[in-house]
Amino acid sequence: MSGRPTVTIHGSDGAPTGATHAMPCVFQSPIRPDIVQQVHTGMAKNKRQPYSVSEKAGHQTSAESWGTGRAVARIPRVSGGGTHRAGQAAFGNMCRSGRMFAPTKIWRKFHIKVNQGQKRYATASAVAASAVVPLLMARGHQVSGIAEVPLVVDSAVFDDTYCGKTQEAVALLNAVGAGDELAKVKGSKKLRAGKGKLRGRRHRQRRGPLVIYDPEIDGKDLVRGFKNIPGVETCSVYALNLLQLAPGGHLGRFVIWSSAAFKALDEIYGSTTKPSALKKDFLLPSNVVAQADLTRLINSSEIQSVIRAPKGGATTKRVSVLKKNPLVNKQIMLRLNPYHSAFVKNKLGEQTADEGKPPKPTKEFLTQVHEL
Amino acid sequence: MPHTHHSNVSPDLVWEIVRNDNAFLVKRKSNGGVQFSRDPLNLQNVNSRKYAGFVNERAVGVNENEKGGVTVTSKKTKHIQRPADSAHTVTYSGNKTGRKTYKAVANMTAKAGYRADLREAAVSRVSAIRRSQRPVKPTPERKPRGKKAKVVDEEA
Repeated sequence: MSGRPTVTIHGSDGAPTGATHAMPCVFQSPIRPDIVQQVHTGMAKNKRQPYSVSEKAGHQTSAESWGTGRAVARIPRVSGGGTHRAGQAAFGNMCRSGRMFAPTKIWRKFHIKVNQGQKRYATASAVAASAVVPLLMARGHQVSGIAEVPLVVDSAVFDDTYCGKTQEAVALLNAVGAGDELAKVKGSKKLRAGKGKLRGRRHRQRRGPLVIYDPEIDGKDLVRGFKNIPGVETCSVYALNLLQLAPGGHLGRFVIWSSAAFKALDEIYGSTTKPSALKKDFLLPSNVVAQADLTRLINSSEIQSVIRAPKGGATTKRVSVLKKNPLVNKQIMLRLNPYHSAFVKNKLGEQTADEGKPPKPTKEFLTQVHEL
Repeated sequence: MPHTHHSNVSPDLVWEIVRNDNAFLVKRKSNGGVQFSRDPLNLQNVNSRKYAGFVNERAVGVNENEKGGVTVTSKKTKHIQRPADSAHTVTYSGNKTGRKTYKAVANMTAKAGYRADLREAAVSRVSAIRRSQRPVKPTPERKPRGKKAKVVDEEA
């Protein structure tokens, strides 16, 4: 690539300000859904709270087996009398009021450690994918009104706590063409199926744009402004989170960058050769292939100049493969039956045996037959 | 302005990422697990590499126009990173004859090396849309004969 591409910076009215910024190196990272998915699965588990049933559940009785000879199963039975409970089976997972099978324990492996290198790789990959329009569309984002991807909004917009009010934040989102996206999220709110409704997850809805800002320059007021818009999330550029950049492990979140945050990316992530200033021992991952476009590779002059000309013509005769029907195809019939042309020419197939009645048997013949 | 993808992305790669899982994909367990696509730039509504309009750099979409006729959309290869300017839309009114519309759509699809492989699909989609826009012929009134005619007469 000759030089890095540049990205337009947009103003509060959605129009380009005239300023541009070079694409940060992190957008050149390899796009690896396999790594992102694996890291996401691990990270998504780290907000869980351990749960289990009571240690004592199902064991709060002094049941003992009656042994053999009483014509009942040998399961422990509740001792005593004077109540219906006495004599009932206890403890077993198959028993009423018994303990569950394999009672859940709080020391189950609820949280998964994910290696830092993998997390950084996955984040870089997810950031790169957020600049690929087809991936955004595949995630279901309504991007047809967006001027440019990645979408960068001038940090000057957030001066004087602009966007500290939700009204201003919505106006900004509409101005940059995210109105369709907001409408989609708003219309997507549905009641969750199942028990999650009772456990603080009553509704489910789509994710909208992720606004990434630089808290040192843009301030934190915009967080409150964007907070109550359905589907919109905010994130500091210094603490990017894979769970927000690739929700569900699916690459291609629609991201709106503040220009300060966009500029900070090169410092935060460095490049494939220059170490990151903020992350210890981190270089951006390199691509295995420098050019991912196979068609372009094949059609490149470097490849085309060294390959030999294709063998054969545009069409190939496949004699041995095709079975032709000799009853339909005359040439094949002639190959199989050289007499066919004479047969057709003389119309032998249409001739009837026209020789009259067969001659009567002679006397000698009949006598011979009758003698036998 | 970035006119093209970065060198780390290509339609081939994007297709491998999204082929099993994307917002346009409709999967059904019936009929042997058919897979369709809701992509407006998909001429056959099937989930395949060739017809996946949102993945390919060049794609053609034919859709019904509300006022009759068809709207044909194609992607501008120049503005891949600018979704708002990336669509080129032409509307062919329903008053135009079918053949003229087919000719125009075929030219738009295949001229200047723009997806000649989609020409047939584009034209047949135009044809299908135009057919669906024809006024529906009312079903003729029943004219009973014989016994049934007598029953109808008595009821009247």
